[in-house]
Amino acid sequence: MAMAIRFPITILAMALILFAAPPLSAGFTPAKVGAKDKCPVCGMFVAKYPDFVAQVRFRDGSTFYFDGAKDMFKFYLDPSRYLPGRKVADIVAAFVTSYYDLVMVDAISAWYVVGSDVYGPMGRELIPFAREAEAREFLKDHKGKRIVRFREVTPAVLRPLD
Amino acid sequence: MRKLIERQRNILDFTLSSLLRRKGKNSALLLVYTGTIFILASVLFLTGALRREAALVLEAAPDIVVQRTMAGRYQPIPLAYAEEIGRIRGVASVWPRLWGYHYDAAFRANYTLMAQVESPPERGTIRIGSGISRMRGARRGDIIALPGHDGQSRSFTVGQVLDHRSQLLSSDLMLLSEKDYRDFSGFPTDRATDLAVRVRNPREQSTVAEKISRMYPDTRPIMRTEILRTYDAVFGWRSGVVMLSFCGAALAFGIFAWDKATGLSAEERKEIGILKAVGWETSDILLMKGWEGMVISLTAFLGGILLAYAHVFLASSILFAPVLKGWSILYPEFRLSPLLDVGQLATLFFLTVVPYTVTTIVPSWRIATVDPDSVMR
Repeated sequence: MAMAIRFPITILAMALILFAAPPLSAGFTPAKVGAKDKCPVCGMFVAKYPDFVAQVRFRDGSTFYFDGAKDMFKFYLDPSRYLPGRKVADIVAAFVTSYYDLVMVDAISAWYVVGSDVYGPMGRELIPFAREAEAREFLKDHKGKRIVRFREVTPAVLRPLD
Repeated sequence: MRKLIERQRNILDFTLSSLLRRKGKNSALLLVYTGTIFILASVLFLTGALRREAALVLEAAPDIVVQRTMAGRYQPIPLAYAEEIGRIRGVASVWPRLWGYHYDAAFRANYTLMAQVESPPERGTIRIGSGISRMRGARRGDIIALPGHDGQSRSFTVGQVLDHRSQLLSSDLMLLSEKDYRDFSGFPTDRATDLAVRVRNPREQSTVAEKISRMYPDTRPIMRTEILRTYDAVFGWRSGVVMLSFCGAALAFGIFAWDKATGLSAEERKEIGILKAVGWETSDILLMKGWEGMVISLTAFLGGILLAYAHVFLASSILFAPVLKGWSILYPEFRLSPLLDVGQLATLFFLTVVPYTVTTIVPSWRIATVDPDSVMR
């Protein structure tokens, strides 16, 4: 019986590797941005900037979209400021758009480059990557300052980006 | 309401018969007017259609094309380059392209030969563009023989006549399988004409291009934006030349129309005077003149547009051919896909019909307000 359950999981894992899909936020898949979705932080329509979209999923299934990792972090660090009543503890998944392949990757395990010459719709950005090697190469190519992980992003990191 | 329409109808009726009374002068005006609109509309249609062709070219164009140069001339590029370029971060895919030209001495035409990678034709069969099909009278199943690089003739069966949206692109195209192409052209097996590179993130294109030229200094990466600029320059320049030659004609028409419209002839003054004397009001006369201007310019406008449409899309712009096809005289005849842009037509309308109608009304109004007695005297 145990084998019967494990078998499809192995196949799933293999499929993930085959299609180079990023590790997901605990089994959640990124949702698609709608034309009317607005960034809760800056109020801009997100669908216009598909190369930078980030998203946060809450336990109740509601998803919010951001036009860049920077706004997503601002929200994540203080959700109730932008959407009263929302708490960090209720967030179950977060995704960002990786720079090189423009696909949604898990925000928690992503690598972010700060201070590069690539600007997003909201100006200076944290540019996300699924793999460290990508982030290192990008840092070199685009005059980035440093690489940060999800947990290292604090208001102090975000402040110079505004 | 009915009375209003009746009034307009009567005045229009009178206008038409008054126009017919001065046949010679009005038909000369109509001719020049139609001619001007014809040329202007031809230019607009042509540039619009060319731009659309360019857009279609770009739709299919790769993000970066990598060419190899030696002493500033293009050289076949080694396939090994493709692998290395594929490893650059940000590159989604690299595929070698095999293509070239072939001069057909019998029909005195240049063909573009290309090896098709996706769903290639079977060996020994080719797909040909509609221009070649027309010129050689070749249909599906016919056999075309072409002399290869070694002088030996090779025969191909026409598997399909391409029916592509963009004729400018596919008109002179011949698609072969890769093996056939290498055999026909003598292209070395480890080389390709150029490499097409797809970069997922458009922001990263210039970085990738930079890395390629650093990696292989003998290559020249051409970005999509550069292709776009070149096409724009080519088409812009060509339409500019046509536009310039048109300017003279437009100016001549302007003078002619101004003269006709502003200075009313003695006969017309007299007509206005008589109409006033028999009881027409100034507004009726203005209405009549307005109708007159509208009849002439609308006729000229519609006639000019129809002629221009036939000229550009049915007759392949024969009048502009020397200017437009300068880049390749050997090009088989091509037909642009018809395209009518409402915005273009509206621009043309407001630049010709409206000013003309207005200029005819103003002088009439000046005369119509004068005492009929002094006009007729």
